[in-house]
Amino acid sequence: MASSDTLTRLRYRYLSGRLVGEILSKSWIDSAIPVAALLAVLVALAALIPGVFNAGYIADLSRQLAEFGLVALALTIVILSGGIDLSVGSTFALCVLGALVGMNVLDIGIAASLAVTLGVGIVCGLVNGVLIGYLRLRAFITTLVTLVIYRAIYDIVFPRLASVIVASTPDSPTWDYLGFGDFYGVPVSFIVFAAVALALHITLSRLRPGWRLRAVGGARKSAFNAGIDVKRTVCLAYVASGLLTAMAAFLFSARLGSTGADTGIGMEISVLTAVVLGGVSLGGGRGSVGNAIVGAILVLVLTNGLIRMSTPGSVNQLVLGAILILAVLFDAKWVKNRSKILSRVYVSPTYLALPERSKAAEAAFALNDRLGAAEPIGLGIVEGPEDVVLDADDNLYTGTRHGTIVRFLAPDYQRSEIFARIGGHPLGLAFAENGDLLTCVGGMGVYRVDREGVVSRVADETNRSWLSVIDDSRLRLPDDLDVAPDGRIFFSEATIRYEMADWVTDALEGRGNGRLICHDPRSGKTQTVLRGLVFPNGITMCRDGQSLLFAETWTCRISRYWFDGPNKGKREVFTANLPGYPDNINRGSNGTFWVALLGLRTPTFDLAMRKPAFRRRMARRIATDEWLFPNVNRGCVVHLSETGEILDVLWDQAGENHPSVTSTCEHKGYLYLGGVSNNRIGRVRLPDADPEWTARRDTWGRG
Amino acid sequence: MGLLSRIADLFGRGDDDALSIPPMDGVLKPNDRLDQAERIADFAEADNLAVLDGQLVCSSGDTLYRIDPESRQAEPIRRFGGAVTMTAASAGGLLAVGVEGAGIELQTSEGWRPIDLGDANRCITAAVFRSEHEMIVAVGSSRFACADWKRDLMSKGSSGRVLAVDLGTGATRVLGEGLAFPYGVAIGQNGAVIVAESWRHRLVVLASQPSARPQVLLDRLPAYPARLLAASGGGFWLALFAPRRQLTELVLLEDGYRAEMMATIPPESWIGPDFSDAANGDQPLQAGSVRQMGIMKPWAPSRSYGLVVRLDASFQPVASFHSRAHGQMHGVASVAELDGRLYAAARGAGALLRLQPEAVS
Repeated sequence: MASSDTLTRLRYRYLSGRLVGEILSKSWIDSAIPVAALLAVLVALAALIPGVFNAGYIADLSRQLAEFGLVALALTIVILSGGIDLSVGSTFALCVLGALVGMNVLDIGIAASLAVTLGVGIVCGLVNGVLIGYLRLRAFITTLVTLVIYRAIYDIVFPRLASVIVASTPDSPTWDYLGFGDFYGVPVSFIVFAAVALALHITLSRLRPGWRLRAVGGARKSAFNAGIDVKRTVCLAYVASGLLTAMAAFLFSARLGSTGADTGIGMEISVLTAVVLGGVSLGGGRGSVGNAIVGAILVLVLTNGLIRMSTPGSVNQLVLGAILILAVLFDAKWVKNRSKILSRVYVSPTYLALPERSKAAEAAFALNDRLGAAEPIGLGIVEGPEDVVLDADDNLYTGTRHGTIVRFLAPDYQRSEIFARIGGHPLGLAFAENGDLLTCVGGMGVYRVDREGVVSRVADETNRSWLSVIDDSRLRLPDDLDVAPDGRIFFSEATIRYEMADWVTDALEGRGNGRLICHDPRSGKTQTVLRGLVFPNGITMCRDGQSLLFAETWTCRISRYWFDGPNKGKREVFTANLPGYPDNINRGSNGTFWVALLGLRTPTFDLAMRKPAFRRRMARRIATDEWLFPNVNRGCVVHLSETGEILDVLWDQAGENHPSVTSTCEHKGYLYLGGVSNNRIGRVRLPDADPEWTARRDTWGRG
Repeated sequence: MGLLSRIADLFGRGDDDALSIPPMDGVLKPNDRLDQAERIADFAEADNLAVLDGQLVCSSGDTLYRIDPESRQAEPIRRFGGAVTMTAASAGGLLAVGVEGAGIELQTSEGWRPIDLGDANRCITAAVFRSEHEMIVAVGSSRFACADWKRDLMSKGSSGRVLAVDLGTGATRVLGEGLAFPYGVAIGQNGAVIVAESWRHRLVVLASQPSARPQVLLDRLPAYPARLLAASGGGFWLALFAPRRQLTELVLLEDGYRAEMMATIPPESWIGPDFSDAANGDQPLQAGSVRQMGIMKPWAPSRSYGLVVRLDASFQPVASFHSRAHGQMHGVASVAELDGRLYAAARGAGALLRLQPEAVS
């Protein structure tokens, strides 16, 4: 048993599978798969055709990519808007014709020819755009029809001009430079393409039109409801498509100087293959310029490779078609199942063995009913008072799940008022020396409330750690804080992997997902101090002013950490192997500490913590409400001495008034109790306590 | 997990059927009718109801009581050498009592007489008189005693038997075997023997050959069935003593976890069904059962539940009586009908209940 446990522990320390879920949760994963496919194809080709990637090939490929890539970008824009453009090939042909008519037939100069070409493209796109955007015709059928119509126009016009086009050669160095020239070895057409792609990337990902386009493609109705002019956006997507196709056609014309009857035929299929293969989702709204480029390179490399292996053209088409079908299939499945896969693999439990508890240790925790008679404060008024603190005038403060801080007025605490509205659930509370109330707000960060109730932000991010896959700079679940004598705020963040609503899932993982963070108000900087803590929860300063205690909930352990003085950086266990899960820690009178246990260990849960695979299957296979959980319907308060010995334990025997205690606060001979899932604050008299003692006086020596 | 479902699981189409619990819906829609019932007597472990001479018989631990439902007076009949695990009364006034470890004690007009069933003595779970000379006895498990029922469940026990016992000679004949904890038995039309097979959550009628596969009458029950009683107006009453939960079904599939749980943890703290959610802090909790804002949700996935179901003559549920997660009357394993009123023994709450008169009609 012991050796297999060791194996399990090692396996989950080094191969926990946590990264799989975290990588899958990144948005760039959509692009990573096409890139991987591209690399695989390149490697395969290099192996199959020796010497394929020489300088000439690269130059040729980049020229092809300039034209093909522009058309792929055109189609990407349309697909992002939720439509499709099958007429790109015919539009391309018409634009080529326009360019050649301008240059060869009319000889009106390169600028005018460019204008003619782009004009043809815009008109073609506009026809599509008006029909689809404003008249609400189906994109597929409309562009299929315009494909035929544009092609027909081309077939009518082209034979009449063919001989003229071939006969004359324009005398324009710019034209030739565009077609054949290079700039420091880079083909000019490729530079044009790169510039267009960069501009388009910025537009799509950073500017308003791009966001609107994605919104329309992703959810047309929501976009409409959000006030976006859906019709115009769709129409402009087709116009942009026509424009980009025209640019591609202009480059093509400059390179070849002529055209044939088959120009642009079959182009829609290869471009569509490229775009879908690159990872642009046919459903609309998902995709990027990068996707389109990767897909375009992939298709070009593939077709070139096939030609180099002297495959007949028809087989070439067959291969492309097959790849398109596979890509579409993969896209459909991926979009549909990505979140499902993510939800199955994201939860990644690890091995966590808690030591057995001795009989003597159990005896110290014998049941009593000292909390059973707790006098309720604010019953039914507060929901979720995670922490409670009292000010110099004995008023009582607590946070609620409605996003407020409520103040109960001394001396009887019958009257209450909303002291501040924060917006998130305030968890840990502490007073700064000047009387400002500091609070950790779930999902938001650390906030400051001054005496007038004005809320200001203290910190909502810390330094990003280099090796973390998920972005750990934002604070997700800060939950308790305390202030050092020099004003620095130390706070714990329970987990970086889950939001507040999913803290239960973190219990299931049992990994060190949390951290200890320090905010220095003098420099305004926030820095992570300790990482890899297992649901660090309560924090309190020790009386030496150089160290603090913090509780790691799922390991049932409280540690001491020196942040200053000769022992700076040292960390040692203060008390371990508690019978329950420690939450907030607070100072008490006579140099003691109060620890709230939010729940009790159960043998079945302890066993489950040693069986990560069991917990993973549980998370995957049964509903969240059915998960095994620590017994948080029972909690207690532990009184610890300065050195961590257990002085006293207070229980609510029936577990109905204070089933789970998340914090305590001693104040003038009374102990106040908070519970994050309770609807009341409790107060019990402490007969042996110093009736004048307050935390404020203990910390700052006054008040 | 079989190979096929493993492959299916790989493609995201895992066979999660094994973990799906039939919903309490339709006729089984939850209500609070057990909690609203009249509490007429308190016994620590009220169970094993029977009707004898117009009075109720009820057990608590090793003691058998007689209760007058009108005056609500209870007097002990006898204290046995082990826990009472079954009572049955005949039309002619015979009373049979199953005693864990000792077999059956039969009360006739001449007094008490023991009937030894050999290795079945440990786990006699239910019985019904076929005549004044013969009774049908359900034996929950051949491996474990009644008190060890959790171990039988977690061992996926299917060693239960149904015996016909000749009261004159004490001779036994096996009517059915290989049953997964038969916890209730009744005589149907044409003398057919109907058995509540608890661990398989179903009612079956025994075939003529003991080893033959029994015919299923009602399956996919959302809770573990216990005693079965022929109702006066036709049909049957079925008490279901604890709810099925996905977590329990998962643990039944998780051999490694289950083996270690059984080896290292006392049974009262195991994951699985129970008669009551005891106040013991060591007991497992499921996430949905966390007390929120001072309230236990009625639909919380509790370990215990109270459920009595009325079945018609074709074994289809027609009415149900519940005590939900926030209620108290959990662990009803036995019911009795007397003078047109239905009585239920809630073992988890230690209470004898009388249901509303309209329950029977």
